[in-house]
Amino acid sequence: MPGPEVHHLFHRPIADHSFSADRKILAVAKDSAVELYGKVGSAFKLKDELKGHDKTITGVDIAPNSGRIVTCSQDRNALVWEPSPTGYKPTLVLLRIARAATFVRWSPSETKFAVGSGDRVIAVCYFEEENDWWVSKHLKKPIRSTITTVSWHPNGVLLAAGSTDAHARVFSSFIKGVDARPDPSVWGERLPFNTVCGEFMNNSAGWVHSVAFSPSGDALAFAAHDSSITIVYPTAPEQPPRAVISINTQLLPFMSLIWSSESEIVAAGYDCEAFRFQGDASGWQLSGTLESKGRPGLGDDEREESALNMFKQMDLKGKAKDDTQLKTVHQNTISTVRAYESNGGNVTQFSTSGVDGRVVIWAL
Amino acid sequence: MSIIQQHTSASLSDAWRTINIDALDPDSSQNFDTTTLHPPLPEVNEADVRQLNAQVRQLLRGGDAEGALRGCLETPVYNGSEAAKEAHLQTVTEVLQSIKASDMSPMLERIHQSPGGSELLDVLIKYLYKGMAISAGASGAGRSGNRTPSTLTPQQTGFSQIGSRPGSTNESTGAAMSVILSWHEKVIDVAGLGSIGRCMTDWRKV
Repeated sequence: MPGPEVHHLFHRPIADHSFSADRKILAVAKDSAVELYGKVGSAFKLKDELKGHDKTITGVDIAPNSGRIVTCSQDRNALVWEPSPTGYKPTLVLLRIARAATFVRWSPSETKFAVGSGDRVIAVCYFEEENDWWVSKHLKKPIRSTITTVSWHPNGVLLAAGSTDAHARVFSSFIKGVDARPDPSVWGERLPFNTVCGEFMNNSAGWVHSVAFSPSGDALAFAAHDSSITIVYPTAPEQPPRAVISINTQLLPFMSLIWSSESEIVAAGYDCEAFRFQGDASGWQLSGTLESKGRPGLGDDEREESALNMFKQMDLKGKAKDDTQLKTVHQNTISTVRAYESNGGNVTQFSTSGVDGRVVIWAL
Repeated sequence: MSIIQQHTSASLSDAWRTINIDALDPDSSQNFDTTTLHPPLPEVNEADVRQLNAQVRQLLRGGDAEGALRGCLETPVYNGSEAAKEAHLQTVTEVLQSIKASDMSPMLERIHQSPGGSELLDVLIKYLYKGMAISAGASGAGRSGNRTPSTLTPQQTGFSQIGSRPGSTNESTGAAMSVILSWHEKVIDVAGLGSIGRCMTDWRKV
């Protein structure tokens, strides 16, 4: 297994990152601009900068097929960047929200995207041909607080959202004329817009940082600020779920999680490293870190220190060991985990980005 | 009309920034009872707590310290009167004080391994912090007479920095605090930092 591929882009936090379908373009949100990096050899070089927001950008997502980039920001706006031969052309999307936009993701069909916000609404945006304009519809009830994260069901109609009111919810974002009627699933049969298909919280009710549907869409996982992840297996609409499994960990809270297969979840957060969870409807457990300990290069703790050098260090710094570096690849909180490479429905590689300005590609 | 914005004394001042706009929004959390977001918790009255206390004492006398600890951690008083909560804290503290330092770690390890054990240790952490707050408050009050935290600490965090050095003012609060601190260290060794995070995020307060 090759080691992780580390790209240290800059010394600023990365709020969100996204790769294009061919993995040649990497978009990262840096302050109020989105930087586009192009792959040159094995490194990523800054190619372009998308400037259009005037406050911190909180979300960026590249649509895999159309190549359109959607960004959202604390300035309460979302922009859709259309690729053209002369560069990216921004289009403003009216979200009609009074607070910061916090998170954005394209639906699998790429005809819609959902923006979470601090205004207790999720704006579901779609393009109206007759007006040549992006419009938004609000998912409002029963959200009581800021939406921190959203995630699409593979059918492109159901949308999961995590909120600081400690609930993970599943909504229908069905829009007539845009979506095809979805097949009945465990989440529901008739799904008009804003149908609440599920509402879940765990025992200690921490803020929800991340939600994700399993590859089949029949299970939902969420990570909360109580250092737990919870997996919900619903049975049928209006029925209690057949299993709700909460794993309280000894670790710091997770900021982001993805399903790598139907029986495996990768989560990362304040511990600056990614962890693997494995299980199914009968039970889940933490099966370890993805960090390979004792990597060469970073850990110079094993190196023999001369007595002179030790006393020199003690004199200069008051301590013998330089402990300013973490033993993990990421040197600060990981804020986003994304699938990078999939093979037959299973994620084989994933990427992480965090507060330390690094984007790292990991093999599973 | 000029397109240049007309400045008035009202628009130039920053006073509008301090308007609490949440108060004006009928849907905001300020105008909404956030406790309705959670399922209600069963109410525990003082008599139940006293009864449990008696049972726990019996277990302690019988030498089953682990059973006693489990017994009181399985029934935390989340919804009850102040007196009931206080009485339960008393029970927990009694149990903690009666367990030898050398028994702590193996016992916590066993509890953590058992099903639902991490939940029990989260409850224990909550009681440890409550215990700290109470003994800190007691010794603080012992020194300065009436405690007025507003002048020195703008936010009351529950941990008074001044006057709460264990052992300096009052022998018994000092001893209680050292028991709590050694338990705290042992619990974190077993349950990890996650349990501190859970204690802070949890809406069920003891």
